[in-house]
Amino acid sequence: MTSYAQLHEAAQESLAASTRVIVQVGHCSQAVGATQVAEALQAELSGHSGVELIIAGCDGACFAAPQVIVTTPSNNIQRYSQVSVGDVAELTATLTSGNTPQQTEHPPFVKGGRGDLDSFFAAQTRLLLTRCGYIDPTSINEYIALGGYRGLNAALSRSPEEVIQTVLDAGLLGRGGAYFPAARKWQAARAANGSPRYLVVNAEEGEPGLFKDRHIMEGDPHLLLEGMLIAAYATGASETYIYINAEAHLSAQRIETAIGQAQDAGLIGDNILGSGFDCQVTVRRGAGGYVCGEETTLLDTIQGNRREPRLRPPFPAESGLFQRPTVINNVETLSNVPIILSDTTDPPVRPEPVEGHAEDASPVLPPFVQGGRRGFSDLGLDSAKGTKLICLSGLVQRPGLAEVPMGSTLRHVIYDIGGGPPPGTDLGVVAVGGPSSGVLPPTELDMELRPGMLHPSGVVMGAGGIMVIAEGVPVIDVVRQLAAYNAAESCGKCTPCREGTPRMVQVLDRLASGSGSTTDLEELRYLAEIIGAASLCGLGQMSGGPINSALHFFGDELARLIS
Amino acid sequence: MNRSDLRPILREKFPPERTYLLPALHYLQEEFGHLPDWALQTVAWHLRVPASEVYGAATSYSELRIEAPGRHVVRVCNGLSCWHNGGRIILERLSDEFGVQPGETGTDSRVTLEETPCGFLCPMAPVVEVDGRWRGRVAAADIPSLVKELT
Repeated sequence: MTSYAQLHEAAQESLAASTRVIVQVGHCSQAVGATQVAEALQAELSGHSGVELIIAGCDGACFAAPQVIVTTPSNNIQRYSQVSVGDVAELTATLTSGNTPQQTEHPPFVKGGRGDLDSFFAAQTRLLLTRCGYIDPTSINEYIALGGYRGLNAALSRSPEEVIQTVLDAGLLGRGGAYFPAARKWQAARAANGSPRYLVVNAEEGEPGLFKDRHIMEGDPHLLLEGMLIAAYATGASETYIYINAEAHLSAQRIETAIGQAQDAGLIGDNILGSGFDCQVTVRRGAGGYVCGEETTLLDTIQGNRREPRLRPPFPAESGLFQRPTVINNVETLSNVPIILSDTTDPPVRPEPVEGHAEDASPVLPPFVQGGRRGFSDLGLDSAKGTKLICLSGLVQRPGLAEVPMGSTLRHVIYDIGGGPPPGTDLGVVAVGGPSSGVLPPTELDMELRPGMLHPSGVVMGAGGIMVIAEGVPVIDVVRQLAAYNAAESCGKCTPCREGTPRMVQVLDRLASGSGSTTDLEELRYLAEIIGAASLCGLGQMSGGPINSALHFFGDELARLIS
Repeated sequence: MNRSDLRPILREKFPPERTYLLPALHYLQEEFGHLPDWALQTVAWHLRVPASEVYGAATSYSELRIEAPGRHVVRVCNGLSCWHNGGRIILERLSDEFGVQPGETGTDSRVTLEETPCGFLCPMAPVVEVDGRWRGRVAAADIPSLVKELT
């Protein structure tokens, strides 16, 4: 039996101080040549001792992808952005000439300039994403050496009830869109009769505009596994399923690798860390469909049924997967859990050090993500603690994955982090939260991102997707696209959603073609209300969001469509 | 491959329980590029699930194909960030170049052209998937070489 202390010691010893050439390869950066860059670097660097090539996930600076980051044992750090295969020879020449790369303001092939990267990161508060993009996601040792699985170790030394209380006290709300207290679910399933109990990780992430859970699975897969194990322990679940989106091949690969390593280390399986807690993990892949992220649909999908939601009650906590007590948590939610548990073992260091210059930085992590940090409960709002991952895309200069404290404003995300629209363009519509939420005009950017309704017309943060659309794009086009998506994804089980969502699209088409009448606006309002009230699951219930918010904020523009 | 070839493979890969339906459908699609009728029936037989229900499940997932696609599958993302960032124009251009309407396969079976709601790589907009591999920051200028690649 290996104890946590032994694992940690062995992990630290296994890490050699070397120059690390980190290539960030993720689902996004693969689309712009990251794999080819990694292969070229591999070929160039083979045979050079003291230089280690690391294939990492991405750190969220998607606008700079593919990124290569070089760190030396003395913590010199150099970032190269938008690297192409043609840049590789020049990069390796610097490395192998014996000269350590110098920290220069503008290395020859940083396209777009360093300033962009600095602004992108400086405006964020990173709690979950500290390791993403910098560690080797296929090395459990790197994770453990940096304190990984310490939260699990802390949890296993307490009773499940104490773990539940710790997470309740920290104020962790689910990050999938509903923001229900995560540990309440654990409590309910724990109290329910039935065996075995299941924990299901919802990594379906099928909402258009989202790419956050994937970043964690690709860049820091053990963080999710650790959170999952703690949640399973608290729930009393002996079996867990990780249900991964059909498109997320790289996530599935890296999660599978991580599971194998955790099994070998005695962190998954029987008698974990000698605690008597047993837990098995199965990975399942989705096959497309927004509704699959709805938790009861996801369960039926695992059982081999059509992708349709269930009637509730009974709730999954009582009768879920295979009619047993089941907890379903989102990836981002679970990834906060190890941090919360670690905070209570080893209080976070305060205050936050100046970015970029921690003197005692480890040779693994670049200094700007290193050192003391604030704890989960020190961040965010009283009503919603911690940070939120935000997926920013569309008409901004720096699209990517950002992490901000709960309660940050849209303006902060779009302008301070994202750099706003490129020069010569203007912001027209902001779509927040995807097809189950709403659209906002530029005048509403001081709205805070937090759980619950951001605006009574149906705008919610959802799971954290923000899409910025240029001025000049008619709002009806945007709304029609969201409505058409809902109609196409409606599973057909309940009549209001099956019949109502296509009707919304018909009415929008009439308006867009100029043949609409004033009664059409009324009909849209009416449809949104009926579908919202009578649908079986969130897909239908929230489908009126884009329409109601457009009627509220862009009423004049829509009225002008009626001749 | 036929039914009698497929049966032992299914027996080896999947215990005969309904929960293995989706993994089995994934396997078929990987093997055949789509879900042929006879293979769906064989899966139904192996898992002891009515064939109608296997068909029902298979047709309810957007990533599973019932019909065989062309030699190449090109999918253009129509998510908001892609669509208003050049995606719409790219789809129109590809449709013209291939002579295929979105959602259809050309009569020469060369290309199946489709719209897809989201590839989940919005910061790389606009994105196009070609034979299972995504390409990001696609510009209209990239289209001629893309068209030439796919024979």
